[in-house]
Amino acid sequence: MIYEIAGLRVEIANKHAYTTKFCGAYLSENQDLPAHLTASVTDAELQEEREASPGFSDGYIENICLYRSICRQIPTMRRFLLHASILECNGKAYAFLGRSGTGKSTHTKLWLRYVENTRVLNGDKPILEYCDGKFYAHGTPWQGKENWGYRGKAELCGLCFLEQAKVNEISKMSIGETSSRVFTQVLLPQDEENVLATLDLLDKLVESVPAYLLKCDISEDAVKCSFERLTGEAYAPKMKSED
Amino acid sequence: MKIKKGFVIRKVGDAHVVVPVGELSKTFHGMINLNETGAFLWKFFTAEHSVNEAVAALCAEYEVDEERARIDAEKFAEVLTKNSFIE
Repeated sequence: MIYEIAGLRVEIANKHAYTTKFCGAYLSENQDLPAHLTASVTDAELQEEREASPGFSDGYIENICLYRSICRQIPTMRRFLLHASILECNGKAYAFLGRSGTGKSTHTKLWLRYVENTRVLNGDKPILEYCDGKFYAHGTPWQGKENWGYRGKAELCGLCFLEQAKVNEISKMSIGETSSRVFTQVLLPQDEENVLATLDLLDKLVESVPAYLLKCDISEDAVKCSFERLTGEAYAPKMKSED
Repeated sequence: MKIKKGFVIRKVGDAHVVVPVGELSKTFHGMINLNETGAFLWKFFTAEHSVNEAVAALCAEYEVDEERARIDAEKFAEVLTKNSFIE
């Protein structure tokens, strides 16, 4: 079947029903038009993933491998996978990044609770697209264990790396610092053409999207801190009735 | 000496990054960050060259004296050898 993911027509050759259901909301209404790429998985890749994630169903394992197959093919189409939680606020997307356990989902939850007009575009594995000097974040069916996200896209207006701390503070990061940190959150393809394309995209990303380091706790003050710096607007909390 | 096949080098931000591709990416995980001189030497050693030739190339490219260039070139060659980046 053909799905529309990150603005591309993606043919997914899955053997298990898991992915068909998983990607249901992204199914293309036009199955007759050609696909931009085909996602498929070899037995060796399945075996490797099974060993890395023991105890999961074959459908689940195949589903992970299929997304990897997609993401390794798209850099030459100006797109790549970024491991991040993307919040969309008033039409603009902000990426929150950090190693597992640094509080991406906690900080995401705080924004949802305190900031008006905020939605999660993708809670874990969005695809970024570069187009005419700007980056856009795309929702995809693969959106993390909380399953937060929707089918849509928004211009990426900031990167925010998280670190746990007792006092909330946010600072602008240098280009050098940003590139070394962002590298750890990107899936590098294997073939030369796509590796080079990924590196070129990362170069453009760190040059064109502002990046910040947020040291934060889990209070409302942490949200005020990141909101004001990322959006450039004064923080005004949501009406209490929604709490 | 000559750097083995399977690496690509690209500018990302204000650094130069070397990453493995193809078969090498399955055994070598990670990336190498290089400064300006490091990137120059990396590219120089992607073709067969001696350390002496690298010293001459550094002196021609940058305004450095031979002694300084030799220290850099020898140190770089040592890192390449130590990490098995040489053919």
